[in-house]
Amino acid sequence: MQDRPSGVSGDSVSSSTSDLPRFRADLSAILQRARNADGGWPYHPGKRSRIEPTCWALLALSQTNPQPPNLDVLGRWPRHDNWLIDLAGAPANHAFNAIAALTLLQSGSTGTLAEAIVRVLIASKGVPLAPDPAIRQDGSLQAWSWVDGTFSWVEPTAWCVLLLKQRLARGPYPDALKRVRVGEQVLNDRACRGGGWNYGNANVYGKDLLPYVPTTALALLALNDRRNEPVVVRGLEQLERDVLSERSAVALSLALICLRVYGRPTSVPEQQLTQLILDRHLSPGYGDDLLGLSMALYALSDGPLGAFTLGAV
Amino acid sequence: MKPPNHDAVRTQLSRRHFLAAVSLPLLAPACLWQPYDAGSFSIPERSSVGLFPAGDYATDFADLVFRGFRELGANITGRRVFLKPNMVEYEPGTAINTHPHLVAGTAIACRRAGASEVVIGEGPGHRRDIEYLLSATGLADQLREQRIRFVDLNHDDVQMVRLRSWFTGLRELALPVELLQSDFIISMPKLKTHHWAGMTCSMKNLFGTVPGAVYGWPKNVLHLHGIPNSIVDLVSTIRPHFTIVDAVTAMEGDGPIMGRPRALGFVAMGSDLVAVDATCARVIGLDPAKIDYLRSASRFLGVTDDIRIDQRGESPGRYATQFDIVDALKHLRLS
Repeated sequence: MQDRPSGVSGDSVSSSTSDLPRFRADLSAILQRARNADGGWPYHPGKRSRIEPTCWALLALSQTNPQPPNLDVLGRWPRHDNWLIDLAGAPANHAFNAIAALTLLQSGSTGTLAEAIVRVLIASKGVPLAPDPAIRQDGSLQAWSWVDGTFSWVEPTAWCVLLLKQRLARGPYPDALKRVRVGEQVLNDRACRGGGWNYGNANVYGKDLLPYVPTTALALLALNDRRNEPVVVRGLEQLERDVLSERSAVALSLALICLRVYGRPTSVPEQQLTQLILDRHLSPGYGDDLLGLSMALYALSDGPLGAFTLGAV
Repeated sequence: MKPPNHDAVRTQLSRRHFLAAVSLPLLAPACLWQPYDAGSFSIPERSSVGLFPAGDYATDFADLVFRGFRELGANITGRRVFLKPNMVEYEPGTAINTHPHLVAGTAIACRRAGASEVVIGEGPGHRRDIEYLLSATGLADQLREQRIRFVDLNHDDVQMVRLRSWFTGLRELALPVELLQSDFIISMPKLKTHHWAGMTCSMKNLFGTVPGAVYGWPKNVLHLHGIPNSIVDLVSTIRPHFTIVDAVTAMEGDGPIMGRPRALGFVAMGSDLVAVDATCARVIGLDPAKIDYLRSASRFLGVTDDIRIDQRGESPGRYATQFDIVDALKHLRLS
C-alpha cells in the first residue's frame, strides 16, 4: 500500500473534554486527514497502510460520520490464499484478518471477501502443545494463533471468537460454532487466577502472571454473550480495578468499549481517555499513534457498539 | 543446508522438548552442518570488553558511556544511531527493563560523540501496549526531556530481510525499516537470567526487533524455531555495532520477568556482542560454552574464549558471583 506523509500532532482540536461532540468531530477530521492515498491508514503518519489501523479507522468513522466511509480499500487489499496480507512474503496475521472481516460484516457487507476470510479462519488452528510442567495450561486446545504454525494465544482467539459469533448471528456457517466453543475453552483456560487475561500464559514455573487491560477487555468482548460465567465475572471485576490506573489510549479505549458493551459505569475511563488524548496524543512531538486515536474515537462514539455487542450463540 | 521439516511442529510437542529438538543442529559438528556462509563473517583475533563501575542509577551515565566509547574505539560521528533497550513488562520494584537513566544517558553520550541522529526503539514481546510501558517505566519522561524520538518496532513499517545465517531454517524475516535504515545499532539489554535461554543479554535483546504486528505477541515463530537458533540468526543478520549492558541492578532466578533484582554495580560495553555476553555470563556464574547460542555464535560471530578478550575498566573478577537460576538450567553453571 502507498505512503502519504502526514502528521496529526498540533492539529487544532477542542481544548475541553466536556464538549464531547466537538472532541469527536476533531478526532474524526484528524483521522480523515491521516488517510493514505490508497484509502488505508498506517499505524503512524507517513508509513504504509496496514490492515489493523485501517479497520479501526473505518470502524471509528462509521460510528461517528453521517456518511459511512468507503470500505473499498479492503476489497483492494493485497491477498495471499484468501488471507489479507500487509507485506508480500510475510505470514498472514489471523487476528487482523478477523478484524477486517468484522469491519466488513459491521458495514452490512455479506460479500465474498468477509466470507472468504471467515472460511480460512475456521480452517485455521493453533499448534497443540503437549503437557509441560513449566506452563500450566491445556495445550491440547487448538484455538487461534497469530500466524500459521504457532501456538494459540489470547488476542487472536478473542478476535476470531468475536468474528464467528457475529457471523453466526447472521446465519448458520459450517463448523463455526464448533470453533467458537474451542475458542471459548481456550479463553477460559488461559485466564489469570485473580481474573483477566494477558497475552496467553496465566502461570509459568508455578508463578501466576498478571493480566493486562487490553487483552482482558478483548477476551471479555469475545465472551459478552456469557456474562454469568465465573471467568467473565472475575475478568470484569479485574478490568474495572485495573482501568483506574491505566495510562494508554489503546488500553483505555478497549476497556471503555468493553465496559459500555457490558453496561457498566464509564465516566471515569471516558474522562481518563479524553484527557490522555488531549494531553499527550495531540501534543507536538508525540508519535502520532493513529491506532490509538481510531480506537479512542470508536470508544467515545455515542452510537451502539455493534461490532462488539453479541446476542446468544 | 536442508531446513527443518516444519510439519513436525504440528504434532504434539512440549515446548521444552521442541526447543531441545531444534537445538540439536547446534550440537552437530561444524564440519557436518554450517548454517552460514563462512566467507561473510570473520571473528576478530581479540575483542575488547569494558566493565565500568556504576553503583546506582544516579550515576552520570552520559559521562560513563562517553568514556566507554572512547576507551573502546566506538566511532559514531555523523552516524544515525539506533538504541535498542530491553523493555518487556513493568512491575514496581523489579529489574525487568533497561533503566531509563542509562538509556537517556547513552543518547546524550551519542550526541556528544557526534551522532547525526539518535533514535530509540523497542518492540516488546508480551505487552503490545508500548504507551503503557513507556509511561510506567519512566522512559517517556526521559524521551520528552531529552527530545529523543522513539520508534515502536512492533508497529513500524517492515521489510522482508534475507537472513545471513540459517540456524532456524528460516530464510527471511520481516524486520522494522527504522532499524534497517540506521547505520549504528546499539543493543542495550538488562542482564538477566532467562528461564528458557539461560541468560538474556546483548544478543537475546534482539528478539525485540522482530515486529509483533507481523508475528504476534509473543513472537512465537522465534520460539518454535528454537530460541538459541533465533538469537544467532538475528544477531548475524542485524549485526549490531555495539552493546551497552545494564548490569547496575541485574535479575537472577526465574528471569526474564519473574526473577529477583540483584545489584552488580557495572555497565558492560563492547563492539563484539558475543564477547560481552560471554563476559557477563562468567560474571554471573554461567559457562558460555554451555549456553547454546553463545557456543554457536563463537563459531562465526565473535569471541567467547576469555584469553582472547581484553578487559577494559574493571576486572570481571571484581564482580564475579553466582546467580540463582531455575533448576532446569543449573547445568549451565561454571564448573
